[in-house]
Amino acid sequence: MYGNGSRLRMLIATSLLATSAALVLVGEAGAWSLEEAAAPYKGTTIRTIGEALPPLEAMKKLAPEFEKRTGITVEIEMYEASETASKVMLDLNSKRGRYDFILQQHRNVGKFVTNGHVEPIEQFMTSAELRDPEFKPEEQLYQGLWKEISWYDGKAYGFPFTALTMYEWYRADLLSDPKEQEGFKAKYGYDLGPAQDWKQYRDIAEWFTRPDQGLYGTAIQGKRHEALWYEWLNFLYSFGGDMLEVKTGSECGPVIVNSPQAIAATEYYKSLMAFSPPDTLNYFWDDVMALMQQGKVAELIMWNDATYAVAVDENVSTVVGKMGFDIVPQGEGGKVAQVEGWSYLIPTAAKNKEAAYLFIQWMMEYDQQLEQHLNGGATPRPDVYASAEVQKLPYAKASMASNEVAKPKPTIPQSSEMTDILVREISSYLADEKTAKEALDESAKEISAVLGSCAPMKYPVQ
Amino acid sequence: MTTTAQPSRGQILLDRGASLPLILPATLLVLVFLVGPFYYMAYTAMTDLSFANPDQNGAFIGFDNFRKLVREDTIFWGSFWRTIRFVAIAVSIEFVIGFALAWLIWRYVERQRLLTTLLLVPMMLAPVAVGLIWRLLLQGDFGMATHYLRAVGLLSQSSAVFSTPSLVMPTIIAIDVWQWTPFVTLIILAGLMSMPRSPFEAATMDGAGPWRQFFDIMLPLLRPIIALVLLLRGIDAFKEFDKVFIMTGGGPGTVSELLSIYAYRVNFKTWNLGYGAAVSFMVYLVVLILCSVFYKAVYWKSADQRAQA
Repeated sequence: MYGNGSRLRMLIATSLLATSAALVLVGEAGAWSLEEAAAPYKGTTIRTIGEALPPLEAMKKLAPEFEKRTGITVEIEMYEASETASKVMLDLNSKRGRYDFILQQHRNVGKFVTNGHVEPIEQFMTSAELRDPEFKPEEQLYQGLWKEISWYDGKAYGFPFTALTMYEWYRADLLSDPKEQEGFKAKYGYDLGPAQDWKQYRDIAEWFTRPDQGLYGTAIQGKRHEALWYEWLNFLYSFGGDMLEVKTGSECGPVIVNSPQAIAATEYYKSLMAFSPPDTLNYFWDDVMALMQQGKVAELIMWNDATYAVAVDENVSTVVGKMGFDIVPQGEGGKVAQVEGWSYLIPTAAKNKEAAYLFIQWMMEYDQQLEQHLNGGATPRPDVYASAEVQKLPYAKASMASNEVAKPKPTIPQSSEMTDILVREISSYLADEKTAKEALDESAKEISAVLGSCAPMKYPVQ
Repeated sequence: MTTTAQPSRGQILLDRGASLPLILPATLLVLVFLVGPFYYMAYTAMTDLSFANPDQNGAFIGFDNFRKLVREDTIFWGSFWRTIRFVAIAVSIEFVIGFALAWLIWRYVERQRLLTTLLLVPMMLAPVAVGLIWRLLLQGDFGMATHYLRAVGLLSQSSAVFSTPSLVMPTIIAIDVWQWTPFVTLIILAGLMSMPRSPFEAATMDGAGPWRQFFDIMLPLLRPIIALVLLLRGIDAFKEFDKVFIMTGGGPGTVSELLSIYAYRVNFKTWNLGYGAAVSFMVYLVVLILCSVFYKAVYWKSADQRAQA
């Protein structure tokens, strides 16, 4: 009996083992792998285009590994931002399909979607052959950033290439200098530290404005350039203003760009020019970054993807180890930051969409995102931010804090026209051609006319 | 006895209508790359085409864009008059200085070839390069020109050229003068060198002084050359884009927004291509009118005088 029972147990155990082994083997054979998914596209070349900045350079360095694993060649074209936009617009409208995927500012997404130029990403994500089961954007990405940067009208069209935001940069060494702290407290009646509100921000700018020492309190990006608009938005949002009264970037709604809050924000913004270097009306982001790298400015509002070159890279910066970062000071609008980003998108006219999707999906993996972020990128993955290496970066906390309170901006098709109007009008105000109210009233009038009946003026102009 | 000259082989070919294949390639190039795009631009100007707004898909709207441009667009008119002022001032200064330099070289310099080669340098630079060079030279923090302007007291320590609205257009004009005066000099110099000596010798014998010779002989003789140089510079200055775009982007405010920069913004920033084509067409129209008027006033008059002589 014992013998029979033992044999039976052995038989059952052997059967179970064999079944398990078979299941594992079957499982392995059916498991998704990049190599197998890419096999049908081996030998193809995919081409993309984007802005010549560190995140794209990092992608270029990572691409050979993808090429080695898949046999798909990746060609990357890099240009200045507006040149990139022009080339993409011409390619999309001619339906030539030169680019298999594009990297574009998220404000253009509405324009591309409504004109039928880009594919919804869902069709690739629902393909069992293409979708890596380990890639779960609905869990692995900052949802707010993903939806703002790569969605339009409730539908996903891609993934964020960079999730950008702006925050306060300050010279921590100056702000913690005991002599400065003593003098500052004597003059302003409170302790010197990173500005938490706009009064403190102005006081600090005034305190450190010492042209005879080559030091200025702040640097305003006053050139007639998109940079001016982006910078001004921080003030607008923080003061409680906005451009349109809407909840998402893809909505059209009443124009509120000439609200009392917007006028107050714009006037405050201009008042800071007194503490900015003399050439402030000729600065855009490159200029103010260079000033900070040279140690000529005490505080300013700047982009997270430019932080690396100031705070970490000793080859180009004299202030490595001296910088501090914090969220934009609070105003009536509370804790708020603007979200901006570049998105991976696949054109409808692209010739190798599946291969392009595989590359994008691979780039969104943790390892690639970490590598890209450490080399000047701005990842949309919170788990990358949480990594020990990223946490060591002096700007990681400010980036995370800003990402969490990032506010959307219009991505509707007319968004570029809105930006162009505002850049011109705010620049006119800075150049003393108009008052803040006149400039914003004119902006409201023109924006309302461009958007049509969906965008009446909430603050009518006489 | 009379002899009849034998027609050459080339003459025979031309007479037989063989000229058509010879001029066909050039004609096709002109049709495809100049005439065709021009008519396409004129047609686009009468549509609502936009690459941004899906509701504007290129429907024919007649002269609506032109009506809006002329009647409602204050930015367009601001840019238009700014451009006219720029052309008038820059080309006048270039002409006066260029003429004076040409005359001095013609009169007093023996090694003219070396000097003319040196004069070529600024105009051989690409306009984008000129814009970048001057943007750096006049940069407010570390620009070399800014440093010296401050050192000699022409610029205060607390100001910078491109951030002072009142200095922006004069500076752009000065840079244009720097770049294009040599062109005027070279053309006028060529005209001076090709002038016949006999009228001057006769005038000297008749007792005419240098001023009389200048106004009554030299200027009439140079009239076609002057017309040519003013025409070329006028057209070129009216289309000025690269330098200004690089240096100021049209700002601060609208201080340096020339018509070409406005056209660029409408076309390539807002992608409103129908309206942008209307702006570009207006630029073309203005240049055409200016050229016709100028040509009639100066060049034809001179041709009539020669015919009468």
